[in-house]
Amino acid sequence: MLEVSNLGVCYGRHTALQGVSLHVEKGEISVMLGANGAGKSSLLKAVAGIVPAEPGTEIRMNGRAISGLDAHLIVEQGIALVPEGRGVFGELTVEENLALGAFAKRARGSEKSTLGLVHELFPRLAERKRQQVRTMSGGEQQMVAIGRALMSRPDILMLDEPSLGLSPLLSKDLFKSLKRIAVSGFGILLVEQNAKLSLKIADRGYLIENGAITGEDTADNLRHNPAVINAYLGGHRGNA
Amino acid sequence: MQIIVTGTLLGGTYALIALGLTLQYGAARIMNLANGETLVAAGFVAFWLFTALGVNPLLGMVLIAPMALALNWLIYAWLLRPLVRRAKNRGMLEVDSILATFGLLFLFQGLMLLGFGGGYFSYKFLAEPFLILGEPYGLNRVVAFVAAVIVASLLYLFLYHTRQGTAVRAVAVDPASARLVAIDVARTAAFAFALGGALTACGGILLSTFYTFNASMGVIFTMKALIIVIMGGVGDVRGATLAALILGITETAVASLIDPGLTLAANYALFVLVLLFRPQGILGRASA
Ligand SMILES: Nc1ncnc2c1ncn2[C@@H]1O[C@H](COP(=O)(O)OP(=O)(O)O)[C@@H](O)[C@H]1O
Ligand SMILES: [Mg+2]
Repeated sequence: MLEVSNLGVCYGRHTALQGVSLHVEKGEISVMLGANGAGKSSLLKAVAGIVPAEPGTEIRMNGRAISGLDAHLIVEQGIALVPEGRGVFGELTVEENLALGAFAKRARGSEKSTLGLVHELFPRLAERKRQQVRTMSGGEQQMVAIGRALMSRPDILMLDEPSLGLSPLLSKDLFKSLKRIAVSGFGILLVEQNAKLSLKIADRGYLIENGAITGEDTADNLRHNPAVINAYLGGHRGNA
Repeated sequence: MQIIVTGTLLGGTYALIALGLTLQYGAARIMNLANGETLVAAGFVAFWLFTALGVNPLLGMVLIAPMALALNWLIYAWLLRPLVRRAKNRGMLEVDSILATFGLLFLFQGLMLLGFGGGYFSYKFLAEPFLILGEPYGLNRVVAFVAAVIVASLLYLFLYHTRQGTAVRAVAVDPASARLVAIDVARTAAFAFALGGALTACGGILLSTFYTFNASMGVIFTMKALIIVIMGGVGDVRGATLAALILGITETAVASLIDPGLTLAANYALFVLVLLFRPQGILGRASA
């Protein structure tokens, strides 16, 4: 569904990504594991149209070339990003954030049913409709961010380190919700530091180092891969 | 009591003018120093429609507001968008837009001086007394106030109860996130700028029904609008409305209790007080 090939990103003279290729399918969770500064955020931002990709990059969504489109048009193609730091409208209410999520033309027809789905996933958001988002806890704001992204009816949901700053318990809940989202048919591209939890829910994973993909495998294989265990799972076997 | 009523009536029109500026600055990030010229130009058109064609200024508003919308859209598209494109950050856009609209101010003022000369203009519209609590007030001021309330309510409904209006607010608070929900930030900013111009024009038309104006008076109203916007908190629609009423009442009080020549001085005194004690705006919360 989403196919990225030969993606390059530069900030001035600094090359953040080079020759990156990957794909994400419907109903599937792909996780991107990599250390700080490896280029994970740059990858998501390039796909979302927030940072420009280098010439030679090819990004296709449902067969259509989307590289070079403005960010707001990429949402219309079915890609939603939950950015680092969430990017919610803190001054606005939960309800307004979710309504804005359905601003995309592709989402308007099904707004009511999508809202039902979001409320089912995160009942807290239904209870707190009128609350200003900046007054909510980090975990609740993350629900707003994910709910808002779902409201655009994406085929692919991209999340940039959603568990950052959440307690272990809240992170567990979050990953459970992501699994349910994938089961209801959305494709997910997840960037995470929390390798243990994310590999548990993922179908496939990529390893990224210094701006290049260095490995790709099923999540099961990655969990048992000694290199992955050493680098991301604290040197000992995660409870696979 | 009379002071409060007169001041409130005046504040209604001020509110429209300031709402125009706050939309342009809050959502489009353009500090439009030529805002007052839009106001005066709209006053002149209303004057001309009324004296030459006998068009009621309230009806004139229905004609002039869309024209102001279109004109401000063109100004944004031709003059300001290149600045938006090349600006690396918000500060740079602010400096550039202040310089550009400062130039625009002189251009418009010159054109109006050319067309109408430097003399003072006014026309008689509903210049009859209207009783409120037994005291007489100009009916034109009362009608202008009611019209201002209606226009401001429509704006409020738009901003708070429609998807497009919510998008305008989203762009005002966080343009980087707005694009993530499929909002075309560039277009929305242009629209907000144009809508702001239309609101200010409405304020100018209403003002012209009871106020004597001339071609070079725009600057004073830009200053007043600026003071109201900063008092109310930048981009805060409710704050600006409240600040406009406070300004209207203060001006009226100073003019009738002390001296009419001191109204501008009172404006600045109020402004300095707000900057000293509530720099985040009268309703605003301290920002992080
Ligand atoms: N806006 C930017 N300007 C310059 N360099 C950047 C910018 N954003 C990221 N980088 C650099 O690009 C590299 C990849 O960063 P990033 O994509 O944020 O990595 P990650 O999300 O994996 O931590 C890093 O070396 C980082 O310093
Ligand atoms: Mg990152």
